[in-house]
Amino acid sequence: MKKIKFNLFFLLFATTVFVSCENDLEITPENPNVFLSEEFFASENAYQKGLAGVYGNLSLTGVEGPGSSNIGGIDAGTSQYGRCLLYLQNLTTDEMIWSYEGDGGVRELQRNVWTASNPVIRGMFSRAMFQVALCNEYLRQTTPEKLSSRGVTNQQELTNISDYRNEIKALRALAYYHLMDLFGKAAFNTEDQPVAVAGEQYNRQQLFDYLESELTAIIPTLKAPRSNESGRLDQAFARMILAKMYLNAEVYTGQNRYQDCMTQCEAIIAGGYTLEVNYLDNFRADNDTSTEMIFSLQSDGDVTQNFGPTTVMINGSVGSLELNGASLGVGAGGWGGAIRLRKQFVEKFNGSDFDFDARKTLSGGGERSLDILDISNRAQGYILAKYSNLSSTGIPGSNSTFVNTDFPLFRLADVYLMYAEAQMRNDGATNTNNSANASSQSLGYINALRERANDGNFANVTTGQVTLDFILDERSRELHWEAHRRQDLIRFGKYTGGNYNWAWKGNAPNGVAISSNLNLFPIPSLAIVANPNLTQNPGY
Amino acid sequence: MKTIYNKLLFLILLFPLSVLAQGTLSGTVVDKASNQPIPGVNVVVQGTQNGTATDFDGKFTLSNVPKAAVIEFSFLGFKTLTFPYNGEKTITISLEEDSAQLDEVVVIGYGSVKKKDATGSVTQLAAKDFNKGANVTVENLLSGRVAGLTINAGGGAPGSGSQIRIRGGSSLSASNDPLIVIDGLPITNTTNVGSTSILASLNPNDIESFNILKDASASAIYGARAANGVIIITTKKGGKKLAIDYNFQYGSGQVQNKLDVLNSSRYQAFIQQNHPDRFNQLGIINPNITDDPSTPINEAQQLFNTDWQDAIYRNTDFVDNNVSIRGELFKFLPAKLTFGNTYQEGLRLTNQFTRNNVNMALNPKFFDNHLKINVSGTYSSEKNRFANQVEGTAIRFDPTKPVYNPYSNNFSGFFEYENPSDPTGLAAQSPRNPVADLLQTNDQGTNRRFLGNFEIDYKFHFFPALRAVVNFGFDESKGIRTIRKGTVGVGSSEVLNNEFIGTNIEDEDIRRNKLLDAYFVYNKEFGKVNLEATAGYSYQRFEFSGFRSGNRQNPTAVESFPASPDEVLLGYFARTNIGINDKYLFTFAMRRDGTSRFSEENRWGNFPSAAFAWKINEDFLKESKFVSDLKLRLGWGISGQQAIPVGDFYLPRYSTGLLNSQYSFNGVAVQVGVPQSYNPNLKWEETTSYNAGFDYGLFDGKVSGSVDAFYKLTDDLFFDSTPYADGSNFGNQGPANGGSFSTKGIEFNLNADVINTDNFNWNVNFNATTFQRRIESLPGGGADQFLGDAGAGVGGTSQINQVGFTPSSFYVYKQLYNPDGSAAEGAFADLDGNGIINGDDRYIYKNPDPDAIFGFSSNMKYKNFDFSFFLRASIGNRILNQVTAARAYSNFAVNNDGQLANIPSSFTNNQFDVLTNESLLSDVNVENGSFLRMDNITLGHTFPKWLEGKASVRLFAGVQNAFIITKYSGIDPEINGGLDNTIYPRQRQFLFGANVKF
Repeated sequence: MKKIKFNLFFLLFATTVFVSCENDLEITPENPNVFLSEEFFASENAYQKGLAGVYGNLSLTGVEGPGSSNIGGIDAGTSQYGRCLLYLQNLTTDEMIWSYEGDGGVRELQRNVWTASNPVIRGMFSRAMFQVALCNEYLRQTTPEKLSSRGVTNQQELTNISDYRNEIKALRALAYYHLMDLFGKAAFNTEDQPVAVAGEQYNRQQLFDYLESELTAIIPTLKAPRSNESGRLDQAFARMILAKMYLNAEVYTGQNRYQDCMTQCEAIIAGGYTLEVNYLDNFRADNDTSTEMIFSLQSDGDVTQNFGPTTVMINGSVGSLELNGASLGVGAGGWGGAIRLRKQFVEKFNGSDFDFDARKTLSGGGERSLDILDISNRAQGYILAKYSNLSSTGIPGSNSTFVNTDFPLFRLADVYLMYAEAQMRNDGATNTNNSANASSQSLGYINALRERANDGNFANVTTGQVTLDFILDERSRELHWEAHRRQDLIRFGKYTGGNYNWAWKGNAPNGVAISSNLNLFPIPSLAIVANPNLTQNPGY
Repeated sequence: MKTIYNKLLFLILLFPLSVLAQGTLSGTVVDKASNQPIPGVNVVVQGTQNGTATDFDGKFTLSNVPKAAVIEFSFLGFKTLTFPYNGEKTITISLEEDSAQLDEVVVIGYGSVKKKDATGSVTQLAAKDFNKGANVTVENLLSGRVAGLTINAGGGAPGSGSQIRIRGGSSLSASNDPLIVIDGLPITNTTNVGSTSILASLNPNDIESFNILKDASASAIYGARAANGVIIITTKKGGKKLAIDYNFQYGSGQVQNKLDVLNSSRYQAFIQQNHPDRFNQLGIINPNITDDPSTPINEAQQLFNTDWQDAIYRNTDFVDNNVSIRGELFKFLPAKLTFGNTYQEGLRLTNQFTRNNVNMALNPKFFDNHLKINVSGTYSSEKNRFANQVEGTAIRFDPTKPVYNPYSNNFSGFFEYENPSDPTGLAAQSPRNPVADLLQTNDQGTNRRFLGNFEIDYKFHFFPALRAVVNFGFDESKGIRTIRKGTVGVGSSEVLNNEFIGTNIEDEDIRRNKLLDAYFVYNKEFGKVNLEATAGYSYQRFEFSGFRSGNRQNPTAVESFPASPDEVLLGYFARTNIGINDKYLFTFAMRRDGTSRFSEENRWGNFPSAAFAWKINEDFLKESKFVSDLKLRLGWGISGQQAIPVGDFYLPRYSTGLLNSQYSFNGVAVQVGVPQSYNPNLKWEETTSYNAGFDYGLFDGKVSGSVDAFYKLTDDLFFDSTPYADGSNFGNQGPANGGSFSTKGIEFNLNADVINTDNFNWNVNFNATTFQRRIESLPGGGADQFLGDAGAGVGGTSQINQVGFTPSSFYVYKQLYNPDGSAAEGAFADLDGNGIINGDDRYIYKNPDPDAIFGFSSNMKYKNFDFSFFLRASIGNRILNQVTAARAYSNFAVNNDGQLANIPSSFTNNQFDVLTNESLLSDVNVENGSFLRMDNITLGHTFPKWLEGKASVRLFAGVQNAFIITKYSGIDPEINGGLDNTIYPRQRQFLFGANVKF
């Protein structure tokens, strides 16, 4: 009997165990930093955190520090939004060269021999499209229905969320603008599509039209210039995108929109921005307080660590011979001379006019040659000291690798030069003798920048001196290493072809002509694999 | 009742025989090897119920023995001996241990089967077949012994885990690790923090046998986890006979092979020739001597002759002690208790591994053996001191610099490249003194693990054909790792705000694994049909939680608490073995598995298998003198793979950022909340495998072995970086299923008793494996996948997965050559002919897979001497020598900040000056890594009658990793993955030891 009892007990026990266990297959995340979506939105400040997540994607590569990334196929640190942008806009031009050509994708970029499998090109495409996805998700999660289903009724919070939504749309527009400029197309996803549905392909014209109507529609809903809390965008941000679209409209759509560009520039200038007194204060550890900053990409040695453009440029611009890192607020050797200047850029500052120009931070001579015959030789080519991790009062940032310096994406000086160029081009397109003359207002803007750079001691340029080519050079002097150069050269027809050759253009030490199809980057081959709606750009 | 009735009937029938009893016999039974008495031996007059058992002193008395009767002596683990009784009064019987007896039963998961009746491709390795020598972790006992099984530690770190592959694995980018089952408990294949490997806590002396289930017809009973094969580890059980074993081993090791770099004098000549302007940077400046500016050289320059590899390595000690006690507790409870202690030093200064281990097994039987209980538990404490990988720095460090700077006390007296203008005093871009790096780092790990199981096996009294088995398993590891570095003069310490802040990191992990299996086994003969059926249920849960302190010296460091969602696996399984006429054998099995890793729609999977075997020699060849055994086996099965790295990826999730990943509004840092990509369509990888093989025995079993041919195809391959349509998910790539992958191969195994006489025995074992892996299709329209680190720089790749080729084939540039046959620097073939050399000009050149691998062991025994050796070979495996590819350039002799650095002597092969993206990936550096390695040679002598016959002792000496023959130019061609960017060298050890049996 005892045995039978034992058997019964055993069977009973086993049956109970079997039945109760299938429910165990339902699991939830246990990592304290991971939440189910609904769980996340039930937490405190979730909507602000979500907003910080989208803004943060312009600075951060992942949620677990500077070595983490939410996109793959590229080195985590290199996948930063602004860094990819800098590489594509500057490293492919006369302004910059990178010493370590073993780093994935760099060599092909700076020698203009890239292919559709280049990791940095994929990084840019994916990072911008990831931003689109984050924006769409935020919009999906903040619909009135969602908010009411979660019992969000606090009026102040609802107002905030409404503001957040408008800013999110502007951030999405920025991403599509970059895709339009760099790739000439994008996969078009909106909040109306569910996750994991591949977007249709939008070409440049479609993106242009979409951006124009979207930005025009949201500008009135955004905060007035300089009225939002720092770190967030306002109307001037949206107008800046529009102004840049209009300035480059001939490249994008074949139709010029210079008058519209001027209108947007004027609206931005009317927003109350003023030139920072000291040019270099725009590029220092406390540049978040600059009065001319319209929007910058955050970086902080403690709370916003990233291998973004400022960390890379400051550590990278430390000379291998000079070991001048301490004067830039980073480790003495920096990154051993990772970035140097090509001869053609250095020559933009030739002449006594620039002897005291604050924008001329380059140095060379002695053991350091001007020409770069061997890219890996870090004693060749001049170095630059534009960006610094010291504050305007000389205090180093909190971390000697990750800088406190923000990356100036949009600033007033750019607007001044955009206005002048648009005005001259508009003049050239409308007057009868086809000459493009600078108006006194344009001259005023240009000279304001020159005076600022020379402590007011600079002889003003005059109408006769200011040609469109002068504007292009002046933009480089003022805005180098700020992710504008490729776009500018394309607008002037000097990026591809042989009108203007710089060192190592087309993989030749003195530069050669390159094919015009390189005006657009290829769609990454894996992006086409994953989304068959996308087609490759011509020539790739 | 029925059984008792039968027994009674039997007794009555036999009763009359005992009446004819005539004599009485007494005697002693001893172990032939040790001459020790064996208690508990069954002594029976054949064909009668007349029997007894030996007492504690091996003595027995048997009365009523009829003349000319045959007396049978039997004891588990010994060969049964028969003795024709001829009226003797006393006798002494020597029983010989029967190692072959273990072979007869192979463990196949939820049961066992007689080896002669096995239908699947299963290889069993028992203790006598294990590798000899210094085997710190249990998988080393197996290395090279089994056809189709490769075990590669990839280097010489003590206690380090090995890459274990059965038939090359079945997956492309998910886990290729086989399922490891210890006494019925499947264990996780994730190494705990503080530990060196998943098997490092086990004591190799506790292992009784390994059973390797290679094809799906055998492994599919483990369903969703069996695609990469299964290794079943059985630990030693308690015995009736009291036996005490003591094993001791000491080993002294040293570095066998160093990388050939320029020595001090060659380096000086090299600098003079290639960088004459830097000649005055050689050595260090003696401040007591002033330079005479009129001479071209600096008189104060003092040149040293430092072999930096000698400086980072040392001679090592290895000590292994093991005591095992077996016997019956309270006269009914067979038990076993072992204590093990292992200490192994690594070649790198400070590196060491210590393990203390207690194992206990209780194996009582109750109710006429109807109820068997098996309890086993192991507690182990593993202590490690880890050492940084400093080989790269050591081969790069200027040989004219000293280890200790005689003129400076900075940096604790170690030579470092100093830069007074840097606030830290160190030259930021220069390498750090590798000796200082080792000595100034205190990186310790401990892992405490309890692993045990409790099995109840009950044969029903009212229905003896049916057994019920319940097995509870439990495995918990708690690991801690602490890394500490000081703040003063520590070269590799963390720098914050231009100051050394030191390092103080503590990581903790707790992993738990619980199992409940319950199954019924029905076994019955119906005439010529023998039927066995098994059906049951399995529940297993894995839990993980941890803690990461970050660097506590850094005020901005972030603590975190990583944790995984519990991993729960449920399975229902059934299997039947049917034998007809003892000639035709059929096995059918089915498992239905559920996992918590997939969404409800994809959660459950079915894994069927079938096998057929035919004992050909029972139908034909019965009279053959040549073929004594021949069995054909055919098997088919589907098994799964669910070990993908993410447990909750099917769920929509948000991650919040760490403290250093925030975004500021109005100057106030806000934690970011970021949606994570997810894929609800994730599912199993499914592997279909086919196997055909023969087991053969020749010359009355003197030669035996097997031949197997297999083909397997994995569908729905899991890729953790499948491109996602940009903008549609929260990332540009991630886990998804797609593509397929095949492996085909042949395995051959031969075991021969070449000589078998009373005094001289010679046994050899040979195995050979060849297999080919091929990618059949890839997700996303077959787009190539780039992988494998380039070897220098960030973000580059050197390998490719392409349809039609072996996974991880090398993807390199085609080097062009000068007319004199030397490689032309910077010249590569423009394969796409567009005039530009870029990433599109790469091509597939060779792959890391070997064409064939071999193992050969030889065991000789002459009287009391024994001699054995074991050889392993690999043919056709290729290696991208990244040490040469990334370092062998004359320009590499000058560091980023202008300091001098050493280069490999292989520089002289190509005479290249400048490292470029292409030269880094030139096919000239893809080398043939074929090798023949002598793993172990052992010579022993046994003294059978030690301590006046109370014990036996065997003394032995041996060499571990005696030599390697290879043309490969790097340190060691036996690496994992085909990319050699410096390894931890394997040591050569000289071993001495003793085995004592009481």
